[in-house]
Amino acid sequence: MIRLENLSVALGQFHLRNINLAVEKGEYVCIIGPTGAGKTVLIETIAGFHKPYKGRIILDGDDITSKPPEKRGISIVYQDYMLFPHMTVYENIAYGAKKKIRDKRILEEEIERIAHIMGISHLLNRKPETLSGGEQQRVAIARAIISKPKLLLMDEPFSALDTRTTEKLRDFVKRVATEYDLTIIHVTHDIVDVWSLADKVAIMNNGTIIQYGEVEEVFSKPADDFVAEFIDINILEGEITEVLGEMVLVKVGDTILRVKTNTTTGHRIRIFIRPEDIYISNTPPDYGPGCFRAVVEKILENGPYVQLFLSRNNIVLKAVLTRGYVRCLGLARGKHVYVYIRPENVRVAET
Amino acid sequence: MVSLILFSAFIALLVMITPTDFIRSLETKEMQYSLRLTITTSLTATFLAIIIGIPVAYALARKEFPGKNLVKTILDLPMAMPEIVLGITLLLLFGHTPLAQLLSMIGIKIVFSPLGIVVAQFFSALPYTLRILSSSYETINPRYELVSRSLGYGELETFVRITLPLSKAGLIASTAVAFARSVGAFGAVLILAGGIYMVTETLPITLYLNISYGNLSMAVSAGILLIIASFITIFIIEKMGGGKLWR
Repeated sequence: MIRLENLSVALGQFHLRNINLAVEKGEYVCIIGPTGAGKTVLIETIAGFHKPYKGRIILDGDDITSKPPEKRGISIVYQDYMLFPHMTVYENIAYGAKKKIRDKRILEEEIERIAHIMGISHLLNRKPETLSGGEQQRVAIARAIISKPKLLLMDEPFSALDTRTTEKLRDFVKRVATEYDLTIIHVTHDIVDVWSLADKVAIMNNGTIIQYGEVEEVFSKPADDFVAEFIDINILEGEITEVLGEMVLVKVGDTILRVKTNTTTGHRIRIFIRPEDIYISNTPPDYGPGCFRAVVEKILENGPYVQLFLSRNNIVLKAVLTRGYVRCLGLARGKHVYVYIRPENVRVAET
Repeated sequence: MVSLILFSAFIALLVMITPTDFIRSLETKEMQYSLRLTITTSLTATFLAIIIGIPVAYALARKEFPGKNLVKTILDLPMAMPEIVLGITLLLLFGHTPLAQLLSMIGIKIVFSPLGIVVAQFFSALPYTLRILSSSYETINPRYELVSRSLGYGELETFVRITLPLSKAGLIASTAVAFARSVGAFGAVLILAGGIYMVTETLPITLYLNISYGNLSMAVSAGILLIIASFITIFIIEKMGGGKLWR
């Protein structure tokens, strides 16, 4: 388990301030944030490449803050692979294991095992420069984990790869994470990495961690507007007008939404709605309050998914639909549709 | 055009004397002494320039320390300074300072001695060695070293296993250039070591002494040997260092 306590680092003009983070053994944590947030500096500090001027790094109970990188047992994988060009794939992987595994037979077996898991058995005698990006990254991961590090750090490991290769690599990483019982901190700017790999997510901006928690929790209840905007969630403000058992009616502008919460009448609240939790149909669904009409303002195609901007008076909502569904509904700019949001999908925070 | 003129100059030097004259010159005691002295002092100076150049160049390329730019400028200075001025500064340093007294107390004589040749050659070669080595370290992504460190290898081991092989071209080129600078060092050698006949006489000194005596055949032969040394250097840089260094 790794714990960062008030970690602060200065690097030229850039500062990391009071970073606190705890990652349990076997956990997969993604750190996400815009460019320049300090994600790479943070994980390079964990690896021991930058010296913090304040705070501590505790790994499995040991204070490793001032230990050199080679004494930490923490591996790192970079987006540009960093395979040693003067070594073959086999030698690269062996390089990662030699400090831990002295017996030649065991070394060979371990390399064979990891090569099999990562699907690179046929590449062992090749030089890195002859490999594709995806293959190189699989080798780099194999090299990083063969010695079973206490912590694996990955710095945007997929960002130099195309979408399909990335999808395949995510599967490899998932498999190897369980096989080797790895604790992982993965820096990314791709929200899909978070959804598909992480147990927990930390949102970073301007050298600090703004929010850290379970993925589901953070993504449905952003701590502030920056997080909400970054993770692309809808935020609305409204007032509770009526309590109906477990349900309340919230007035947002002239629109009434049904929300599940135990806050009482008269309170102003903020509500968060994920774009994929917004249902759209051409005919009025039989749900009563919580269903309203809106106009399609904009349609943004984005691979297999389509981003839809819906407006109703002064409310704008982002929704995500599949391309097929958009075609099926015959959606186009200016078209009127019915919008429905399930009460349990609306998260609430008091203002 | 420029290369044509240069080429003609080389040819002029080569046709100046007959092959028999050349061989006769090589057979003289003076030339053999000079050749042997040049090779031993140059090899020693090159060895020292590389051994000292590697850690210094690495520190200049990788480490941040206060006054780094000043250190860089001082180390580069001999490259821009006339060699003869380098010679006089070294002469003063090793002739008239407490350092000189200290050295002479332990029996080391640098001024007007073959050891002075090595010192002069070393300082003529060092800035070039540093330049080539540190630029070859700068082209290596430091993340290679960071990855190696994270895999359990210390700083020195990482340097030997990763940085050194990746900077092989630079090492070969800087060795060749250091050797060429050492062989050709003249002004500094003349001032510090004195250019004494058959004592501190290296090939450039042989050329100089014999020109002054009017012994053209000996002077030209020394010149030809120096050109051969330069050609070998260029050949080594091109063939073994590979164009890689100059990208």
